[in-house]
Amino acid sequence: MTALRPDLAEKVNGTVRYGADLEAPGMLWGALVPAPVAHGRIRTVDLAPARALSGVVAIGAADLSKLVGGREGDALRPAFPHETIEYLHQPIAAVAAPTLALARAAARAVRVVVDPLPVVSDLESLFPAWPPPEASRSPAVAAHVHARRGDVEEAFRRAETVVRELYRTASVHQVALEPHACLAEVSGERWHVRTSTQSPFGVREDVASVLGIPESSIVVDGTWVGGGFGGKGSSFLEPWALLLSRASGRPVRLALTYREEFLLGRTTLPSVVRMETAVAGGRITARRVRLLLDVGTSLPGRDFATGYSIGFLLGPYRSPVFEVEGYAVRTNKPPFGPHRAPFAPQCAFVVESHLESVARAAGLDPVAFKADHLWRTGDSTPFGQTVADFGLPAALAAARTLADEWRRASVPGRGVGVAVGFWSTSTGAGGEAHLVLAPSGLRILQGEREIGSGSVLVGLAAVAERRSGIPRSRIRVEYADTSRAPYDAGVFGSRTVGALGRAVDEALVSLLGSLRARIGADGPISLAEEGEEIVVRAGERRWPLSELLTPAERAAGGIHAGGKHYGRAGTLDERVVVDGAFYPYTDFTGAAHVAEVAVDPATGAIRVVRYAAFHDVGTVIDAPSARAQVEGGVVMGLGTALTEEAIWSEDGRLLNAGLVDYRIPTLGEAPPIDVTFVEGYPGAGPFGAKGLGEPPIIPVPAAVASAVRAAVGAHATELPLTPERIARALKRPEP
Amino acid sequence: MADFELVAPATPEEAIASLRTGPPGAVAVLGGGTDLLFDLEEGRSAPERVVSLRRLPWRTLEWNGNALTIGSTLPLRTLENDPLLRARIPGLHSAVRAVGSVALRQRATLGGNLGRSAPASDLVPMLLALDAEVLLLGPAGERRLTVDGFVQGSRRTALGPAELIRAVRIPEARPSAYHWQRVRPFHDISHMAVAVAFSPSARAWRVAVAGFPPRPLRVPEAEAALGSARPDADAVHRAAEEIARRAPIVADHRASEEYRRQLVRPLLERAVDATVRGGR
Repeated sequence: MTALRPDLAEKVNGTVRYGADLEAPGMLWGALVPAPVAHGRIRTVDLAPARALSGVVAIGAADLSKLVGGREGDALRPAFPHETIEYLHQPIAAVAAPTLALARAAARAVRVVVDPLPVVSDLESLFPAWPPPEASRSPAVAAHVHARRGDVEEAFRRAETVVRELYRTASVHQVALEPHACLAEVSGERWHVRTSTQSPFGVREDVASVLGIPESSIVVDGTWVGGGFGGKGSSFLEPWALLLSRASGRPVRLALTYREEFLLGRTTLPSVVRMETAVAGGRITARRVRLLLDVGTSLPGRDFATGYSIGFLLGPYRSPVFEVEGYAVRTNKPPFGPHRAPFAPQCAFVVESHLESVARAAGLDPVAFKADHLWRTGDSTPFGQTVADFGLPAALAAARTLADEWRRASVPGRGVGVAVGFWSTSTGAGGEAHLVLAPSGLRILQGEREIGSGSVLVGLAAVAERRSGIPRSRIRVEYADTSRAPYDAGVFGSRTVGALGRAVDEALVSLLGSLRARIGADGPISLAEEGEEIVVRAGERRWPLSELLTPAERAAGGIHAGGKHYGRAGTLDERVVVDGAFYPYTDFTGAAHVAEVAVDPATGAIRVVRYAAFHDVGTVIDAPSARAQVEGGVVMGLGTALTEEAIWSEDGRLLNAGLVDYRIPTLGEAPPIDVTFVEGYPGAGPFGAKGLGEPPIIPVPAAVASAVRAAVGAHATELPLTPERIARALKRPEP
Repeated sequence: MADFELVAPATPEEAIASLRTGPPGAVAVLGGGTDLLFDLEEGRSAPERVVSLRRLPWRTLEWNGNALTIGSTLPLRTLENDPLLRARIPGLHSAVRAVGSVALRQRATLGGNLGRSAPASDLVPMLLALDAEVLLLGPAGERRLTVDGFVQGSRRTALGPAELIRAVRIPEARPSAYHWQRVRPFHDISHMAVAVAFSPSARAWRVAVAGFPPRPLRVPEAEAALGSARPDADAVHRAAEEIARRAPIVADHRASEEYRRQLVRPLLERAVDATVRGGR
């Protein structure tokens, strides 16, 4: 073990302070006042009964402008609604009190009078059939996207085989062990908040926008993060906590209960997808994809999910003639929010299952059919983007070989499935790092907290070790708040090593260049540990680093160097766009997974017997962390595949707001997982690394579904694949 | 969660006294707390006094020949680890292991499971199939009820106002089996379960089903249909039909009625088969 994680001891012995552990002298406890209906017009939010309680501070929509000094915050998304309640438990006011019990009592004391309005909780009740064109102007639609290329109708007319299917996917929660929590302290014009977040700078930007105060007045200090999975990527509780602190003049702690995590959480919501594919001569000649995505109360014009996700429904396949159309449908639920590889596992389930149906209908082997159509390096995507250095075909080839081996050893009642998924990592989002090289070692100063994956504390150090030769024991990754750290976009989008890692690498390259000039070396140089000191090596010669520092550098603690990574956003072929905003992908990566399952034909129960994952990673930066990312992603994906499903009633109540009936996988269901990395197809990250945070979850539901079909001929078209759904599918078995 | 007074009496007499002197309707009994805590956290229950049984001398397990008496505060994990249980009453061993997770069973108790009497209890159906009795202790002394008489409905029992469950007595070890279906195999709530036992003394079957309201129940018609010690496939089929006919199976957000009904036959077949083969 070369890379014991530097955060391991603290986390194992329990001394780590997470967001929910924060306290400060004189602190008040915050609580949110939940909306009593899922949709309604506010007549009264009377805070007087709460304010009558001793020591209680209460704030509502009427107080917003005064609290932020008369500035204009986000008019479309104010901290509290002025007129309309949009989802059940939506915070409509907030209170703070010297004890948590009193804060909760005060929240209950607030008198709320609303006129209920009709609730839309299910997108299919709104659009039971495919919406008519005028639906794009409906207030129930947050976004409409439409793109096409070629003569789709003609291709469908001339097809030898046409397959049309309808799929449904469920809402899944991030279920980070640590709930959202923060501690706000406002003094004068300094708005300071400590918070558990995947993106301190992102929170700063959001808070500025919601409250209408300048970013320069806001300091965001990230705490240790007990899991994010996308749920802690933007601001959430911080504006409320800051407003409470402003109103009370005291530090205010605000944390969600686990039930509130479910009730208020912004996450992936349900979808209905219609898939149509035309085949002639064994080739796909046309595709049509139509998506209804529930985006909850996401704002019109601010839905990113639909225009981004819909491309994943075409899969990583050559599709010269295609049409995609999607509606982001507004329902009375919290806004849509990211969940590890937002909506991509669901898309992969749909497209992989559908193409398997297409191949079967055309009398072709599904895996061979997919391999034939898979993008190759240099191909163009349907949206006209070039796929560079794509390792997915090699990953699929390796997966096929293993799947064949497993099939030969399989027994009746069991089946082996193969599925792929692709991903676009957010390496376009920028970041900076500041390095200090001293004789005692290297410090990497940056603005991200470790969220548990190891990408910050291990990933950045591993990049530095590989570039410089300095052993990891002499590299320290240091965190600072947004007032002191260089900017970084956030620990999301599988970008930490690929983007922030590049900033670290660039700074090191400049440091090495400076050292090379100092020793007058022509060839490559490297750094190493000798005794208690870092030395510079060039060929056979060596210089103690201490002798190469200028007096000014000695006084400054070492040689300083900055690195920046501001990736270019991709572009897409606008000629295919008919309506709406599509978003280009960056840095294509992918994975092929193999699942073997045992299915009980009498009950429909699925047991995943073993699992293998082949990942296009460009270059492995730290093998143990990379392997752990894949194993964790696969197990999380098994939840999406088999058990996880948030269920809403018609009146907009979440029926399973807790871990009893919202079922994440337990260790008991985790199968043995083989992980193989496909290297040699470099990405944009340092040493050609590609992101690995999200790809591991993407193919999982599809691979499991494929294995279930192979085992018992049950083709389930709805996630998750619960025993009951499989039992139902078994009543109409596939040939 | 509202504030409450927590008391932990050391003797049964003190425990009963603290139940009697508490504000009426505002006393809750705490066994392992694994079910009560949900009610407290979500405000469904707001007792003024919580009486913890952890100091009572009831963490006992006693084999008396073929009979087994289990103290009500014995953690389920201890019961599950009893070296004789699995061999002698395999159905009860399976039912105990079906409750929650290992960590949860370290705290959860048999008395708590019975006293809270949830419709989806994994233990009550097995206790029904074992003709188990509940030993109650109250201000008027001890009394004894069958589990069938004790469990009255969804979260309703025959427990008197100041009574406690002292122990559960299983009159004889029986070949037995417990089979369930859930969404997630571990740490989940069974939405259909079948408990089966064969009484060597009465030469008769016992069949109980659970997973839907109001309560787990025995189905005597199914027991009669099974008949002999080695029922054939037809007999098992007829027994399954009796269950489907007589059990008030309904839908909820965990499973549809149709699916629950579909599960009766395979679960019963497997449980009977396992019992005939010696149980598991």
